[in-house]
Amino acid sequence: MVLADLGKRLTSAVSNLTHSNVVDEKAFDAMIKEICSALIESDVNVKLVANLRKSIKSAVNLKELGPGVNRKRLIQKTVFDELVKLVDPHNEPFKPKKGRTNVIMFVGLQGSGKTTSCTKLARYYQARGFKACLVCADTFRAGAFDQLKQNATKAKIPYYGSYTETDPVKVSRDGVEKFKKERFDIIIVDTSGRHQQEKELFAEMMQIQQAVKPDQTIMVLDASIGQAAEAQSKAFKESADFGAIIITKTDGHAAGGGAISAVAATRTPIVFIGTGEHMLDFERFAPQPFISKLLGMGDLGGLVEH
Amino acid sequence: ALRFFQNFVGGKTLTKEDLDAPLNAMKDHLLRKNVALEAATDIIDNVSTSLIGVKTSSFQRVETIVRAAVEASIKRILTPTNSLDLLREIQQKKGKSKRPYVISIVGVNGVGKSTNLSKICFFLLQNKLSVLVAACDTFRSGAVEQLRSHVTNLSRLSEKDAGLVTLYEKGYGKDAANIAKEAVEYGQANGYDVVLIDTAGRRHNDQRLMSSLEKFGKLAQPDKILMVGEALVGSDSVLQARNFNEAFGTSRGLDGFIISKCDTVGDMIGTLISMELASWRPESASQHCSNISNTPLTPRPLASNQATDK
Ligand SMILES: Nc1nc2c(ncn2[C@@H]2O[C@H](COP(=O)(O)OP(=O)(O)OP(=O)(O)O)[C@@H](O)[C@H]2O)c(=O)[nH]1
Ligand SMILES: Nc1nc2c(ncn2[C@@H]2O[C@H](COP(=O)(O)OP(=O)(O)OP(=O)(O)O)[C@@H](O)[C@H]2O)c(=O)[nH]1
Ligand SMILES: [Mg+2]
Ligand SMILES: [Mg+2]
Repeated sequence: MVLADLGKRLTSAVSNLTHSNVVDEKAFDAMIKEICSALIESDVNVKLVANLRKSIKSAVNLKELGPGVNRKRLIQKTVFDELVKLVDPHNEPFKPKKGRTNVIMFVGLQGSGKTTSCTKLARYYQARGFKACLVCADTFRAGAFDQLKQNATKAKIPYYGSYTETDPVKVSRDGVEKFKKERFDIIIVDTSGRHQQEKELFAEMMQIQQAVKPDQTIMVLDASIGQAAEAQSKAFKESADFGAIIITKTDGHAAGGGAISAVAATRTPIVFIGTGEHMLDFERFAPQPFISKLLGMGDLGGLVEH
Repeated sequence: ALRFFQNFVGGKTLTKEDLDAPLNAMKDHLLRKNVALEAATDIIDNVSTSLIGVKTSSFQRVETIVRAAVEASIKRILTPTNSLDLLREIQQKKGKSKRPYVISIVGVNGVGKSTNLSKICFFLLQNKLSVLVAACDTFRSGAVEQLRSHVTNLSRLSEKDAGLVTLYEKGYGKDAANIAKEAVEYGQANGYDVVLIDTAGRRHNDQRLMSSLEKFGKLAQPDKILMVGEALVGSDSVLQARNFNEAFGTSRGLDGFIISKCDTVGDMIGTLISMELASWRPESASQHCSNISNTPLTPRPLASNQATDK
C-alpha cells in the first residue's frame, strides 16, 4: 500500500527519539536525517524535503526551549503537522448534486490511469443513485474508444464516442450536449494523455475544457511518479486548473511521495485512490484519517486539535 | 578568498573530509534529476571509495574531480556490455533456423509497452522484415483493438516496399503464454522473420502475475525480452527492474530496457541510471537498447488516426 513503508519508517524514527532518555541535538539531527531519507526514497520532491527539514528544525529549536516544554510531544506534533500539510491542502473538493448536470473532465499524463479511473468514478456515482455516463474525447490513442466502450459496457454505463471524428473538441461537445438533453446527473469526459512539453496538446486540453465547461476537472496521477510530478502537475494546474486529484496504482509497491508532492505543489485535494485494475478497486480518500492510520500514531491524530 | 582557495587541492592526498561536501552536493543533484536514492547512494559511495587517498596531480578543484568521477561512473553504468544489433541478430538467426526471431515486451501498467512494440515493428518493417504481432495482453480492455489499429496503420507501410505485418490475436480472457506459443508456431509455419509479443501490464509486486512470466518465457522462448520502463517513474524503478529481471527464472533475465516517455521529463532522466544499476546481474549484465531508442520518442507518428505518412 502506498506510503505504508514510509509510515513505518517515520514512526520508528520519531519513536526512537522519543524513547531515548535525553533528547539532545545529536539524536534530533539523526531523526531528521532519517525522516528526510525516508521521504526522498518515497519520491517526495527534493525541494519539499529540504523545506520540511527547515520547518521542523525551526519549530523545534532545542536550545531555546524552556524547561517546562515537553520536547518529545512537541517533536511528534511538529512532524505530524508538517506531513499533514503535505497531503492536506485545506481545499474542499467539488461535490456533485443530484437533479442537475455535473460535468467532470479527466486530465493527466500518458498512461496514468485516466480511462480506467473515469469508469470507476462513473460506477461509483451510479451505485449511489446518480445517473452517470461517459464521453470518450480521446481521439488520439489507438484503441482508446474501444477501451472505454468495453469498460462502460461491463459496468452498464451509457457512453458516447466516435471512430471517425478526429477532433476531440467536437466529440466532447457533442457527447456532453447529448447527455445533458437526456438529463444525466454525472457526465464524465475522458481525454487523451498529454504532457507540458507539447504546447499544442495543452492548447487542445483547454479547448475541450471550454467546450464542455466542466464543474470539476480531475488530474489523474500514477502513484509511482518521481521528481517530474511537481513540474507536470503545476503545468496542468496553470492550464486546466483542476480541482481534485486521483492517485492510481496504489496497489503497486511505490510509496507515492511524488503524487503527494503534486498535492503540495498545487494545493489540490486527493479525492479517490485506485487500488487495482478492476472496476471496484477504488476508494475515497480523506487526508487526516489517512495520515493517522499511516503513521500508526493513534494518539497523534488527537494532537492536531490542541 | 580563503574559502575559495580551500577548494583547490594541488598535489594533496584526498581525505573523506575534502570529499564529503562536494559528494553530498552531487548526490542532491542526482536526486533532483530523479535518480533513485538507492542508486544515487551507490554511485556516490563508490566514487567516494575510489577517490579517498588519491593524490591529486595539479591545481584542481575538488568539485571538478568529483564531477569527473561521477560522470565516468555513470558512463560505465550506461554503456551496454553486449551490443544489441537487432537486425544482424535476426539475419544470423534466419540463416540458422526456421524459427522466427521472437521479441517480447514486458513492464508495469501503462508505461508504453504496446506503443513501443509498434515502434520496433515500424523499424523492422522499414528494414524489409516480415513481422507477426502477437496480442498477448488478453486482459486490459481495448488492448487487442489498440494493437490492431497500430498494425492496420503499419501495414499501409508495407504497400510502400516494406515488410509484411500481421496481427495474431485470440481475443480476451485466454492464457497469454499459450497464445504466445501458438503465435510463434504460426509465425514459423508462415515464414515470418520476427514475432513481436505484447504482454499485459503487471505490477512487479504482484506475485501471481509475475510468476506467470516464467511459464510465458518457457513457452514463447523469446530471443529478446525487453522491459519498458517510463522515465516518469521515481524510486520504484529499482524494484521494477530487479523484479522483472528475476521473473523469468534463474537462467533467464532481461535483455534490455526501453525507457519511454523521455520527452515528458525534461532533463530529469535519472530513471535510466536507476534501472541499469538495479538490473546488473553478474552472469548476464543487462544493457539498454540504444538502437531502439533512436526511433522517435514521441508516439504521435504511430497514432491511431494519424496515418503513418509523417
Ligand atoms: N494495478 C493498477 N493498475 C491500474 C490502476 N489504474 C489503472 N491501471 C492500469 O494502468 C494502465 C493504464 O491505464 P489507462 O486507464 O489506460 O490510462 P490512461 O491515463 O487512460 O492512458 P492514456 O489514455 O494512454 O493516457 C492500464 O493497464 C490499467 O489497467 C490501478 O489503480 N492499479
Ligand atoms: N509522451 C510519450 N508518451 C508515450 C510514450 N510511449 C508511450 N506513450 C503513451 O503512453 C500511453 C500508454 O501507452 P501504451 O503503449 O498503451 O502502454 P502499455 O504499457 O502498453 O499499457 P498497458 O498495456 O495498459 O499496461 C499512451 O497514451 C501512449 O501514447 C513516449 O515515449 N512518450
Ligand atoms: Mg486513456
Ligand atoms: Mg499495452
